[in-house]
Amino acid sequence: MIGKKIHKFLIVSFGYALIVLSPNVFSETILIKNATIYDGNKNEPYEGNILIDGPVIKRVSSSDMQGDFIINASGKIVTPGLIATDTNIGIVEIGALSVTRDDSSEIYKIGFSIFDAFNPNSTLIPWNRSNGITSALTIPQNTSSPIGGLGSYFVLDGELSITGEKDMVMTGSVGGSSNHSRSETFAVIDDLLSFAKSINQKDLDTDVDISELIDESPIAEFMELHPRDVRALFRLVNDDLPLVMKAHRASDLLKLVEMKKKYNLNMIIMGAQEAHLVKDIIAINDIPLIINPINNIPGSFDELASNIKMASILEKAGIELMFTAPRSHNFHLIRQGAGVAVAHGMSYEIAIKGLTSTPAKVFGIENRGEIKSGNYADIIIWDADPLEPSSMPEYVFINGENMNLTTRSTRLRDRYTSDPDKPNTYRD
Amino acid sequence: MINLIKYSVSFTLIFFCFNVELSAKPFESTYEPLPSVNVLIKNANIYDGEGNEFQETDVLIQDRKIIAIGKDLPASDDFEVIDASGKWVTPGIIDIHSHMGVYPAPGVKTSSDGNEATSPVTADVWAEHSMWVQDPQYTLALSGGVTAFHVLPGSANLIGGRGVTVKNLQRNTINSMKFPDAPHSLKMACGENPKRVYGNRQQAPSTRMGNIAGYRKAWIEAEAYLNRLNEYESKSDEAKEMGYKPTRDLELDTLAGVLRGDILVHNHCYRADEMASMIDVAKEFGYKITAFHHGVEAYKIADLLADNGICGALWADWWGFKHEAYDMVQANIAIVDQARNGTGCAIVHSDDAIGIQHLNQEASKALSAGLRAGFDITKARAMNWITSNPAKAAGIYDQTGSIKVGKNADVVIWSKNPFSVYALAETVFIDGALAYNRATNFFPSSDFDVGIISPTKNRTEQ
Repeated sequence: MIGKKIHKFLIVSFGYALIVLSPNVFSETILIKNATIYDGNKNEPYEGNILIDGPVIKRVSSSDMQGDFIINASGKIVTPGLIATDTNIGIVEIGALSVTRDDSSEIYKIGFSIFDAFNPNSTLIPWNRSNGITSALTIPQNTSSPIGGLGSYFVLDGELSITGEKDMVMTGSVGGSSNHSRSETFAVIDDLLSFAKSINQKDLDTDVDISELIDESPIAEFMELHPRDVRALFRLVNDDLPLVMKAHRASDLLKLVEMKKKYNLNMIIMGAQEAHLVKDIIAINDIPLIINPINNIPGSFDELASNIKMASILEKAGIELMFTAPRSHNFHLIRQGAGVAVAHGMSYEIAIKGLTSTPAKVFGIENRGEIKSGNYADIIIWDADPLEPSSMPEYVFINGENMNLTTRSTRLRDRYTSDPDKPNTYRD
Repeated sequence: MINLIKYSVSFTLIFFCFNVELSAKPFESTYEPLPSVNVLIKNANIYDGEGNEFQETDVLIQDRKIIAIGKDLPASDDFEVIDASGKWVTPGIIDIHSHMGVYPAPGVKTSSDGNEATSPVTADVWAEHSMWVQDPQYTLALSGGVTAFHVLPGSANLIGGRGVTVKNLQRNTINSMKFPDAPHSLKMACGENPKRVYGNRQQAPSTRMGNIAGYRKAWIEAEAYLNRLNEYESKSDEAKEMGYKPTRDLELDTLAGVLRGDILVHNHCYRADEMASMIDVAKEFGYKITAFHHGVEAYKIADLLADNGICGALWADWWGFKHEAYDMVQANIAIVDQARNGTGCAIVHSDDAIGIQHLNQEASKALSAGLRAGFDITKARAMNWITSNPAKAAGIYDQTGSIKVGKNADVVIWSKNPFSVYALAETVFIDGALAYNRATNFFPSSDFDVGIISPTKNRTEQ
């Protein structure tokens, strides 16, 4: 029986049409042998073996171990599964088709949650997963409030019973606008946070109580906040909820630093195309950044200082970095962005951490993002250097399960490269 | 004496430039290359853009042309010698689909000039008359090895206007950037964009069938116009004086240029079935489609494209932003390339100011997807996708697009194999002149970049 299963694994390693393992795989262990491991924690890679038992990593060691199934990964780089930080995976299927978009709300602003819209059957999930993304923060579009919209965390196993964490980040944005001053935006943020600070837990007992709070607050009333919005605001200033603010201009970044200090916020800044102009202040205030290192375009008047060496400069300033990509359909291209960052001076190991353990740490994602005993077995075995965009995973494990790497895209490819004698619609 | 010689040289140069300006016809190229030296690039690994790879080989550049490729080439003392041991040399990269200049950075309303979205057929507009020569994006593309690019109007219209091919040498007039003797192109667009733009205004086209009817009506007018022109031209001089000369029509001038074969059709089209219909429209009116652009479904009709000699100008992996871009296959470019025993024409395009800087990486993704699909494609062949094939599609292959004796010395020296994400373009020559050098920070800056953040610095020095 075991022999037969090993045989199946051998087939897997030679082809890309992966077989699905039988469900009882959970009762047996998988040993990844002789891998070059970037575990997301240590700065240097090491040669070692990883034992997966059910959904978790049982042991990581350079000494010999026994496993029911053995994958020889010699010469292969193994990393934790990549964690995406800024996506609409699961809530937008086709960008320009509004009926497939669930990323905005007309009613709720600060407390808008996308969690209930998440579609585990989205085609974006297998595609990003087969390229190495094993979990994702999915966030809504910017709302009419400069602070507003709750993002959730999802494990991309594609199961209809969702594994993840609901409403675990708040989002927001500030910057140039065609209809109002950014000074107004900062004032609104200040008023909202000040209102949030004034709320006591007992005021949140009922929606009626909250409605009274709203009536008494000029900013809450003017913005037509709902009880959901007020509860979310309360969490932001009291529960250390990560706040991901999108901003670029150097002067805006400094204002956000002030806001963080004034309200003791758990702030992360996204975009931050001019962060290198104020790098020391960002570093001293421990603000992690989510950047797109391949973007050197002065795309707006807020991003004039965009620079291809930004990642390297920020790393040397001691700032924690994570990566974003402009399109969630190919969010895995954060690998290419990280590769470009390395080409321009960022250290390879820190770039790998930026794709794995840094987001886990910054967003408080427990037991993922590192290859270590006790963590969930979200593990990628790469066919070559993961920062080369030409590379792909050979194996993707999520919660210890060997994921099938077939995608709609590979199915369509195979449909048009095989059985040329059959009419295409009668092919597999 | 030395001063006198300098004086006379510069006088000659000034006179020469002046002379060119005077003799150039309206809207024609007045491009002048940068001062060049003769260069021997020694011991380079070369992808020549013709499908060949040469190890440790020399390239000799003299009088702006590539004059020799071979081992241990001799060069006289007046040649600058560049030791390229361990480095890679390719032709200058060419992007067949760019909107730099017509959608410059920063992306603001006041210079968003790519779509004349006021009528579904605007064959009268020329992209070069929208291009902002101070777009700070050109020099970023140059840092990615791009020596020429083709700028198209946007895709809001069925027939969007003329495209232009330019040298990637930033100058202060568009004519001085235009690629000499490059043909104009005509931008056409299928599918969602035109039907959305005009359908939302309750006017035609609002459907795909409306799109096709719209092209055919335009070509019927163009045929009649061309017939009137030909009829007039065939008359004797006397008869011409007696009769009326047909009134010029800018829109029909462009379409007649296509029917005459002077203007190349570049057709934005995603879906396979629509591309097939567009081939029928071209057959009905006797014009040729040079390339389908974006073609996310090109792999479904790769043989049809090869049979009709149509290139697929494609992304490595973009998908999902529109319904017609949903059926992405990463091997799309490879499948188009390999159609009909490798006679297909595949091009990696960018349509993006970031992507244009990394076309080598995009080709690398497309190549690796092709290898995974089971095709036997060399890196040397994949290099054609971003050099000679786009040069052919832009109508400039006789001048550039490959490392070939007699061609313009548009050459890039890369730090590593250009199919790696870690490879950087170190040195770029355009017409044998140094246009970019990474080590010495030698590159053009647009006026926009000057003193815009800090008065004493340029934008990219921050």
